[in-house]
Amino acid sequence: MSLQYRSQLTVNRDGVVGRRDFLKLVGATGSAGLSLTDHVSLHAAELRKQGMACILLWMGGGPSQLDTFDPKPGHANGGDVKAIATRTTGVQWSANLPQLAEQSDKLAVFRSLTTKEGNHQRASYLLHTSYVPSSSVNYPTLGSAVAHAIRNPTSELPAFVRIGRTQNSGNGGFLGTEFDAFQMNSATRMPDNVRPTTDEHRYQRRLGLLGKLEDSSGPEIAAGQIADHRKLYEQASRMVLSPSMQAFDVSREADKVRDAYGRGEFGTGCLVARRLIETGVTFVEVSLGNWDTHDNNGQRCADLCGQLDRPFAYLLEDLSQRGLLDRTLVVWMGEFGRTPRLNPRGGRDHYPRAFSAALAGAGVRGGQVIGTTSANGEDVDDTPVTEKDFLQTIYKGLKIDAGRENMSPIGRPIKLVDGGEPVAAAFA
Amino acid sequence: MFARLLLFVAAIALGTSPLLAAEANKTATQNALPKVTTPPSLATRIDQQLATELDWAKVKDQLAPRTSDEVFLRRVYLDLVGELPSPSELTLFAFDPAADKRTKIVEKLLNDVRYGRNWARYWRDVIMYRRTEDRALLVAAPLEEYLTQQFNTNVGWDRIAQTFVEATGNVQEHGETAVIVAQMAEPVDVASEMSRIFLGVQIQCAQCHDHPTDRWKRQQFHEFAAFFPRISARPVLINGQPRGIEIASADFGARRPGMMGRRDPEHYMPDLKDPSAKGTMVAPVFFATGRKLTTGKSDSERRDSLAEWLTARENTWFARAFVNRVWAELIGEGFYEPIDDLGPDRKPTAPQTMELLAREFVDHKHDVKWLYRTIMATETYQREARPRRLEHQPAFVANCAQRLRADQILDVLQGALGVELASIGGTAPPIGPLGRLGARFFFGQTFGYDPSVRRDEVTNTIPQALMLMNGGMLNDAIKARSPVTQLGRLVNQTPDDEELVVELYLRTLGREPNERELSASLTHVRQTKDRAEAYEDLLWALLNRTEFVYRN
Repeated sequence: MSLQYRSQLTVNRDGVVGRRDFLKLVGATGSAGLSLTDHVSLHAAELRKQGMACILLWMGGGPSQLDTFDPKPGHANGGDVKAIATRTTGVQWSANLPQLAEQSDKLAVFRSLTTKEGNHQRASYLLHTSYVPSSSVNYPTLGSAVAHAIRNPTSELPAFVRIGRTQNSGNGGFLGTEFDAFQMNSATRMPDNVRPTTDEHRYQRRLGLLGKLEDSSGPEIAAGQIADHRKLYEQASRMVLSPSMQAFDVSREADKVRDAYGRGEFGTGCLVARRLIETGVTFVEVSLGNWDTHDNNGQRCADLCGQLDRPFAYLLEDLSQRGLLDRTLVVWMGEFGRTPRLNPRGGRDHYPRAFSAALAGAGVRGGQVIGTTSANGEDVDDTPVTEKDFLQTIYKGLKIDAGRENMSPIGRPIKLVDGGEPVAAAFA
Repeated sequence: MFARLLLFVAAIALGTSPLLAAEANKTATQNALPKVTTPPSLATRIDQQLATELDWAKVKDQLAPRTSDEVFLRRVYLDLVGELPSPSELTLFAFDPAADKRTKIVEKLLNDVRYGRNWARYWRDVIMYRRTEDRALLVAAPLEEYLTQQFNTNVGWDRIAQTFVEATGNVQEHGETAVIVAQMAEPVDVASEMSRIFLGVQIQCAQCHDHPTDRWKRQQFHEFAAFFPRISARPVLINGQPRGIEIASADFGARRPGMMGRRDPEHYMPDLKDPSAKGTMVAPVFFATGRKLTTGKSDSERRDSLAEWLTARENTWFARAFVNRVWAELIGEGFYEPIDDLGPDRKPTAPQTMELLAREFVDHKHDVKWLYRTIMATETYQREARPRRLEHQPAFVANCAQRLRADQILDVLQGALGVELASIGGTAPPIGPLGRLGARFFFGQTFGYDPSVRRDEVTNTIPQALMLMNGGMLNDAIKARSPVTQLGRLVNQTPDDEELVVELYLRTLGREPNERELSASLTHVRQTKDRAEAYEDLLWALLNRTEFVYRN
């Protein structure tokens, strides 16, 4: 492929057309007489209207459904956790989440997720991609796929930001490194390398010298490569010098708001996520880990819920007050649930057969519970929701066609989700 | 003018640079050059074969000329040892009148310990980029060590491949377990990767359905997977805690983490109409040559047999896959592309040339250094670089400029700045198992890519630009008013601005500046009041140039 094409693509890029897609498009549209530019701008216009965004609250390790959204207080499997009433009539969940209970009208809780993967790594990958890990195709993670589909072409910030380092959450995969997560190692610090090490005057002087030297290049490097590189540097410098970068800086937020979210890493992450979405970022992934409670499950879940409750609750309220909730899908999930039966160490082991997740915003009807589990929590009694169904539902909320195909490097078309059905009741 | 400068600069450098002292040691430890064994006639035959096959007579005007010595030297250094030549090496090479100096430098670098390291890292990426779990990263460092050793002692590629197929043991002590542990011993994934990496055949496409245009069918994929159902990736327990992974034979069925029960010791092809059923038991058959075993055979018997059949002369895909990959890395375009998607139903460019090279590679006992030597002696390798050709343009008429791999960029950076960058992005690696992977791994997280992906598909990213522009340690290392930085010393010791500008070009880009670059650089120095600051700016700009991350 020629560099000229790549440059042109960079100019026109709206996140819809990867390079492979582009080739395919050229092939497909050449005869139809529609130019690439037409095609791209068509897509871009359609997508800009939507402005959808997504915040994924990733519960690494596999959160216990019995200690969060599906308590079983009357049953031996229930452990010590009590159930409390929520704002939604007839819906109770764990007493570990009292503040979130006040926001239940915004949440659709799914109690009937079911998958076949009980291994952390494989299951994390599965819930992030809808595919099991495979050597042959490096599937893009949810954030990359969403950024690729609907990123805001005019934003100076990266389309997909991940807060905190996680394992097995995947990246851009075959969509390319440009769709990898932009990593923020801690919500309390600016991302790495976004602050110039010199004052702005000197920074500009350096960029000026760089430009002059690049202009003086001999034939060693092709003009197209230099042009691509220059665009990248312009984009990076624009980002560094952009006032939008303040969105990463949580210290600019009022104390009152910071306290409302909580000052912990996860709470701060949720606040940064809201700031980023507000500023034009398409997808933010925030993690709360350590849910792998093989021992002392009750106490550990209470502690973890203590870190989760306030930030999650205030995130929903804050998004709603700012009018962002209608266009922002908030997803709460982990890789699987925990065994309903407690083990001899008071712990719960991995359980993919019946567990919980939750959605809010973006047209999701809150104040409802989808699916039920049996009295002992071991089986899904109705409305089983597989990982494919759940990811279909997420894409539906984001107004992305989950059947949309991207090209893998060996030219195989790969659907965002291959199979499954969106859960219609979530939006009804 | 440049010749004079070069000599002068080299003299300064030789007298003062601790870097150069280190380089001198490296060279001193190497043995005398071995006998040059490349029949130059083969390189010539390859060029001739390409000319005939691709009808170059018609496109004579499009053939790129031979590179200058300067570009050639930078290219072979990056290709073989993954670093730039030092200014003195550049000077010595430029002034060497010997007609065979290009052959000699290739030979010298093939015997440099950095050669094995460079290609070990390449293959580490080939294998590890397809890992299905991050836990498999435990094997990354041992794998690099293992392959460094193999390549430096020039073990045949057939033998190396066999060890990967036969591997057992603790993955932290046995780098050759990498292909298996990267797939956590899942039979279908191990089968896919063994085939992709060593045969360049993506037979896994047949895993779920028969591909209409491919010869090999679903049944054959599963027969191939039947070589691997008895491998287990089990935790190594220390004081009852999992502390690593061990690859072992599990002839009574492997346990799988997070799963109930044991895997069946035989492989079953799933029933497409009833995926939850057990499927049909299949016996191991090697699709490429039809060699087979009956069911019931032990793990070691299965894998030892396959190791032999995979690398046997009758299996022509084995040599093709390696030759195609090395050719693609050195020339910038493979006979087959993607470089790991060969097979009877793919159409290569210049098939006869590829067959010639593959045949000779087998005749030379899969001698890896022989292959580098041969390809690098061709005119095709030594042509000037151009960007990737368009589909309709003639193939192999130029070398192709390529984005450097993360390890190459890091080593060039360290060489240019004269420091070990422990944490180049300003962030220390995290605590925990991944932290032990060290700064190089995290540099790779930003600059790395899967080397099996076509090179012109690799895009540069914003975090890369941010790291090179604003990286904290990087900017510390380019401080000119410091007695400990290389730039600080150079600025102090080199009063002549022209000489200093040239020196910085040599160290960062491995070449002298052209007239316009020299003049733009000197203008900047003169216009900036503070000389130290001016050179910090210049070094910063050079590190951020396009050319810095490309090999042309």
